[in-house]
Formats: sequence, C-alpha cells, structure tokens
Amino acid sequence: MAVKKAKKMVNPEKIRGDIRYGDLYKPGGKVRKRREWRGVKDTLYDYSRWLGIMFTLGKFIAVPRNVKGMLRYRWMANYLAVPMMVDRHTQGLRGEYLRMCHTEQDLIIIDVAKLLNNLFRGDRRIGKDKAFSDKVVLVDENEMTAVMMGFPTLKGLSRETPSTYVSVLLNQHAAEHYIDVAQEYGLAGDVCPMPEAEAGVSIDDDAPVLGKCAIQCNTTCDGSLLGNGVISRRLEKEDGIPVFQLPAPLRHREDDVQEYAAEEIRRAIKFIEEQTGEKWDWEYYFECARRVNIATRARNEWLDMNRTEYPQIFGSNLALYTETNYMAICGKVPEFEKADKKLMKLARKAYAKHKMAAPEYRHRAIVWGVQSHFYMDFLVWLLNCWGIVPLTDMLSMINTEMIAETDTPENREKAYYDMAWLTENMIMRNRTHGGYRVLLDELFEYVEMFNADMIILWEHITCKALDGMHGLFEDKARELGIPLVWVDHQLFDPRVVSRQGVRDQVNTFMRTVMQEEPLDPSLEVLEDGNSW
Amino acid sequence: MKDLKHLIYFEDLLQEANNSLIRQAQGEGRKCIGYMCENVPEPLLNLPGCFSARLRAPRTGSMEMGTYYLTSFLCEYSRAMLERALEGGFNFLDAMITPDGCTMLNRCVENMEVLKTMGADKEGFFFEYMEIPMKADYNGLDLYVLQCKNHILKPLQEHYGVDTSDAAIRSAVAQHNRICELIRAIGEFRKGEHPVITGYEYNVLTLASYAAPKDLIEEKLEETLEELRHREPDPKPWYKARVLVVGSEIDDTDFIKLVEESGAFVCADRFCYGSLPGRDPIVLTEDEDALTQICRQYMYRGECPRYMNTEKMDARRSYVDALAKEYQADGIIYQQMKFCDPWAYEKMLGSHILREEYGYPVLAVDRPYAIGSSGQMRTRVQAFMESIEIKKIHA
Repeated sequence: MAVKKAKKMVNPEKIRGDIRYGDLYKPGGKVRKRREWRGVKDTLYDYSRWLGIMFTLGKFIAVPRNVKGMLRYRWMANYLAVPMMVDRHTQGLRGEYLRMCHTEQDLIIIDVAKLLNNLFRGDRRIGKDKAFSDKVVLVDENEMTAVMMGFPTLKGLSRETPSTYVSVLLNQHAAEHYIDVAQEYGLAGDVCPMPEAEAGVSIDDDAPVLGKCAIQCNTTCDGSLLGNGVISRRLEKEDGIPVFQLPAPLRHREDDVQEYAAEEIRRAIKFIEEQTGEKWDWEYYFECARRVNIATRARNEWLDMNRTEYPQIFGSNLALYTETNYMAICGKVPEFEKADKKLMKLARKAYAKHKMAAPEYRHRAIVWGVQSHFYMDFLVWLLNCWGIVPLTDMLSMINTEMIAETDTPENREKAYYDMAWLTENMIMRNRTHGGYRVLLDELFEYVEMFNADMIILWEHITCKALDGMHGLFEDKARELGIPLVWVDHQLFDPRVVSRQGVRDQVNTFMRTVMQEEPLDPSLEVLEDGNSW
Repeated sequence: MKDLKHLIYFEDLLQEANNSLIRQAQGEGRKCIGYMCENVPEPLLNLPGCFSARLRAPRTGSMEMGTYYLTSFLCEYSRAMLERALEGGFNFLDAMITPDGCTMLNRCVENMEVLKTMGADKEGFFFEYMEIPMKADYNGLDLYVLQCKNHILKPLQEHYGVDTSDAAIRSAVAQHNRICELIRAIGEFRKGEHPVITGYEYNVLTLASYAAPKDLIEEKLEETLEELRHREPDPKPWYKARVLVVGSEIDDTDFIKLVEESGAFVCADRFCYGSLPGRDPIVLTEDEDALTQICRQYMYRGECPRYMNTEKMDARRSYVDALAKEYQADGIIYQQMKFCDPWAYEKMLGSHILREEYGYPVLAVDRPYAIGSSGQMRTRVQAFMESIEIKKIHA
C-alpha cells in the first residue's frame, strides 16, 4: 500500500461573510464577541434556527418541574450553553453544510430536551409521577438501546447522557466536579474520566431517581464496566431499582461468542418483561429495525461519498449525529428517519454540485481514536484552520450490515443475534475491543479506502485500549510513510490538556513536520480556556 | 524461626521466568504453555505432554520499550511483560494463551504477537485469545466451556497432539489438586497466633506453584509441609498486626516482604497469584464431564472484578470478610497495581464497604509492579500498623 499526498483543492465558490473565525473569540470569555456573519441568506437561516433552539429551550423551561430540576441538579446549569454549542459546530459552515448541521443538532437538542423532561417527570424528587416512572427502564449512556426496540410502551432513559455526556459537549468544564468527587472517594486518578464522572454523579447522589428497572452494559471498557458497579450499588441497595447486567462479548468478531451474546439479549428482554409487566412487541421491533437499516444505508452512502474528492457529511456533521442516531436512538424515533432522508437529500445535492465546505482542502484525514469530548468541534477547527478534511472518524465506523426487518419466524430468531451484534458493535467499543485487527489493521485499510494522506490520532490518555496500541500505530504509520498526528487529551477533563493544548499539537506538527502555513491563522491560538 | 530448608530453592525458581524446572521439563519433551491471567483454567494447560507457566518478569528494571509500545498509562505488569518478551525472555514458551480479560493484558499479548516476540523458531507455536464470561451463570458457563474447547484444547491437540480427553483432564486435575492441597495445608499454619510460617515464605511457595511445573515441585512442597509441622515458632508474635492482602496481581515477593518488614503479618492472600481462591482444589464428580466442572468452579470462585453481576460483586466483599474472620485478620490492605482500571474501582468500593459496613481497619494503596524497597509504601503500612495498635489499646 502506498500513501499518496492528497492534491490541494481550492473551492471555486467564494465563502460569504466572515473568514477569520478566530477574531470572533472574546479573550477570557465564555461566549464570542458576536455571531458569525455568513452572508444574508445563511445568516438569516442560522438566526432562524437559533430562534428555533431558543423556542425549544423556552418550551422546556416553561414546565415548572423542569425549573425544579434545574435548581436540584448541578449539571443542569450547563444547558444554558446549548446555543453556544451549536454555534461552535456551525463555525464556517455555509449552504448545505450549515443546513446539515442544523438538521442534526436541532433534532438532537429536541431529543435531549425530551429526555430531560421525561427524567424529571418520573424523578422521585421532582415530578414524582410514579405511573410514568414505572414505564421507565434506565439504560447506560454507553449502551446500545437495541433491547428497547420491542417495547413501544416503555421509555428507555439514560441518566448519564444528560448529566455527563451532553453536559461536557455543552460546557467543557462540566464534569470536573464529578471527577473530583470520585477521586475524593478513593478512585485512582488514572482511569477514564467518563465512567469516573458518571460514578461521581452517583456518589454525589446527583442523578434523577426513577424507573422500574435498569439495564447496564459492559460497553465500552473496563472502566465503564466497573463504574457501573458504583451506580448499580446505589440503584439496587438504596433506590430499590433492580438491575440487569448485560455483558456484550469483547471479541465481537468471533463466531463462538455470538450465541452467548444473543442469549444475554433474550435474558435482558425477559428481565424487562418481568419487571415492567410489558410484552415484547415484534411488530414494533421490526419497524425500528427498518429504521436502523435506513440509517445504516444513509451512513454507508455518506461514507462512500467521503471516499471521493467531494466528501459531504463528514467531521462533526458525521460524528455527533452518528453517535446519537446509532446508539441512543437505534430506530426508535421516527424523526431521525426523516432527518436521515433530509440529510441524504442535502448531501446528494451538494455532491452533484461538487460543493466544498472550506476555501481549501489540503489534506484528507482519517480521525482515529476516542475524540476529546470537551472539544467535539475540533473537527470543524481542523478544516477551518488547516484545511484538513476529517473524512471519517473511528466512532462513525460502526455496523455497515443490514439487520432483519421483516417479521418472519426465522427473522424473530435472527433478531436476537442482530440486537446482540448491534450491542457488541456499539460506538467506540467495536474498535477498542475485538482484537488489534479492528483497531490497528482496519485503520490502515480505511486510509487506503478513503484515499487519505494523514491520520489524526486522538490519544485519550487514560484509554488503556488505545494506549495499548500506541507503538504499533506509530510503527505501521512509519512503515507506510503516512503522517500521523498524535493529539493527546483527557476526554472529559480539560484541566489535563486544554483545548489550546489540543490545537497546539496539530499546529506544531503542521508547521514543523509538514512545513505548512494555516488556512486561517486567526484560529491557531484561541482564548477559549474559560469558554463553554 | 529457623530458616525453611527449601526456601532458597524456591526463591531461586522465582529469579527467572525460564527457571531450571521449566528447562528440565522442556528437556523431557514437554511443551510449556504460557498464560498471564487467573481466568485461564490452569489444569487444562497441564495435560499430558505440556505444562503451564504463569508469566512473570522477575527483576524488572527498565521498561522503556514496553512503555513505548503501551505508553506509561498501562499497568506496569503489562509493560514489564512486554519488555521481557521484547528482550527475548519468553522465547522458551511453546504457546501463549490469554483471555480478553482486562484490556491491558490483552493489549500486552497482542503486542507480543504483532511484534513477533516469540515463537519464531518453534513450528507449533500459537497465540490464542479467549472470551471469558462477565457474569457467573449458565450462559457464562456455556461460553467458558466453548472457549476452553476452541482456544485451549483444540489448538493444543492440533499443534502438539496433546491428549485432551476427559480422562486426561481428570488426571491433570488430580495433579493440580495435589499441589493445591499442599499449598493450602501449608497455608493453614498462618492461622495460629504463633504462626510457623511468614507471609513472605508462603508467598514464595505459592508463586513457585504457578511459575514451575507442578509435578517437579511436589516433593519439596511435601517436605516443607512436614518441616512446618515441627517448626518452632518464635516465643512471642513478631508482628504488630495480622493483615489480609486483597487486590490485583502480585507476583513480586518483595511486596509481601515489605509489608511484613513494616510490622505486619500477612495472614491471608486474596490476590491474583495468591492462594485464595487460586489454590482451591477442583472437586470433580463422575456425573458430568470434567471440563464443564472445571469451568464452573473457576467461574463461580473467580474474584476478578470484571465479573459484573451484583451477586458476584457482593460476594467479592463478603469473601474478603469471611477470609478476614477465618484468618483472624486485624486489618485489610486493599492494593491495586497503578493504572489497573478494574482494581481501581474494586479497591475504591471494597475499601469503603469493608471499612464502613464490615467494620475493618482498611488501608487502600496503589503500587508499582516491582516495589523494591519503596519508602512511601513502608511509611503507609507502618502508619496503618500503628493505627491498628492504637485501636487495640483503646479496645
């Protein structure tokens, strides 16, 4: 395999409005000086979507119990930063790309608002709606929700998603308190801060208390598996909520683990049925399965486009949406089917016109490893600052196979294996576990497949599964002569490596190794250490 | 107390991974199967014609190459193992079998494989990775049995023509049990107020039973057991407090030595490479195949924190409590190797639960792979001993 340098591509279309995005930052502030000017049409569109987000937030806060929730739970303060998060991800986007981003992010915001609303409704401390709470099955944040695909009358709700996962997307400093709580309780400081923060929320008793039962999963890693023990202890021993632990095999590509995985799915479903009194609904399951396939087909097509000179849904537009749609939604929310179709339409339109999302494309990169959660818009920065096109990322390289979607006796049996397969291939863990072939070998296969000329390798410093391949990544990249940029970070904790610390690693590499100048020098150093 | 007659012999065995008894067994034509985790059923690696060696990296110094490949955030055990493999220290192995248990060990062995650190000159050499259940129940048992068949028995049979029949497995279990019974019988001497064996001596014997072919140490263990029956204890206890050591992998006898030099007596060893429950004999009946029975006993007795079901989690703490009572421990030391994720969590919860719910004095520490004569650790253990002494005075 020979890696060719990507040819530099210049956008024939002029980018309207601001082009020096770094100038918009206010030193030391949480927000920027002003909103981005994108030309009349796109600014108006963006503003209308901003109003839409404010409407979603307004509608949420108009419910009295949600105000109570805001005052009870420390992490709720982060939700004030929702509009800022969208602004960060739309930086520099125009035309179809801006619309793709809003289509995704606005829907995710609505979905999270619904999740919060439901959590507070059933919360024993806030909404106290016991009848609703009895219809709730708690699920992990890092868990495929496939086992909920056949329960139309139940709600699978994750408490960790709003308390830690989304919170850090909104405010880079959101998890620091909970990380400190866990460490003060005696947890070593060298574990992954994600399960650590989730455990911290539980230790701090800062999660809504609701649900008839809970399903925990060993995804994504050892830390996640063990962190669940902290959470289940409170759930079972204090809150009286029974927990089913759903183990997804680690060596998920092996044939001899699939029966085990399928049986655990059967048992999880049986557990939910026993606890809630609800029955598994095959018709609903196959309806969800059909939507899973629609999402998979769409993602496959986007990835195919990204192999060409004119990638369309890439970077943050691909990563964040895939995470949400694949794992948390898993075919259960019809609105995401509509979003998939709309995104496809926008992508095809832009592709037909050979549209580009930045003034120049200089490098085509595969982004690998576990992304920095406190800096999810880094992919936008890569493109705007250095012209590096993040074609795809590790977390988006998930299941590409269709699952059974027609209700037949054979497919009912196959469905257990499909749900097991989806669960085993949950984002991140389908790469960080399953042997070195899925993490190491397939990265370099993707480099070839996507005609990439660069690898951006997130080194989440306490992710042991990734750290354990560090030297082999380097050896292989050296052997193939492909530039590999290490980007260290500590996932949820910007006190260890700041956003500027993340950027500096790329800046240094691009200037010294690649001997290049930035596309937008105003983005090289940003004063966003205090920013949301 | 007078020195144990064979202590130096056993200590010598622990100086090298490729010790003299491994060389002797391989000289007799037997195949050496390396493994690194408690979750690989040991008797299956000791079928006729082969024997197990649980890998260690004695006298570890620099881990620069291991750290380059695995970074400084992986536990030092995995880094030390990879370093030793890169140095050629495990070239004597004829196969390597590992579970995908904890991520770090798995990555360590994967690096060994990709970097072709061993097996180049051995035609039948193989690496195998196993999936190990994360819950102890019927489904986990089915998986365990299948994994043992596919990743231990089948490759051993195919590569080396090893007899993997039920009769052969039963014979291996019988040999395994003889060693377990000897080790546990020796361990019984730790229970008295005036123990005739130190925690360090016991640790050396136990470790040797993992690191050397079992049949070749049996005689000396028997002699040691007999010697202990007549060994005169010191006239008064030489320790300030009896402690139970719980936690992650310890294959460094210096750790137990350091704890005992700080005034403790390690009366029980609930850690990987320890005897509780690692040296529990395997009880076989005739009404079921031996493989299933072995897997069941490994799964249900396993104390590895990767077992995630509530019953197992609770049982880990109640087992520690039961051991503390049985061995009359005054306190518990929860230790984890630095950067070990599973034990980081288990240590945190276990130390709180044993302290707050069971009422034991607990010391929670993390430690490097090779402890040497760490002043920090010594100070912490000494302070713990003093706190137990003060409690005794106030009681």
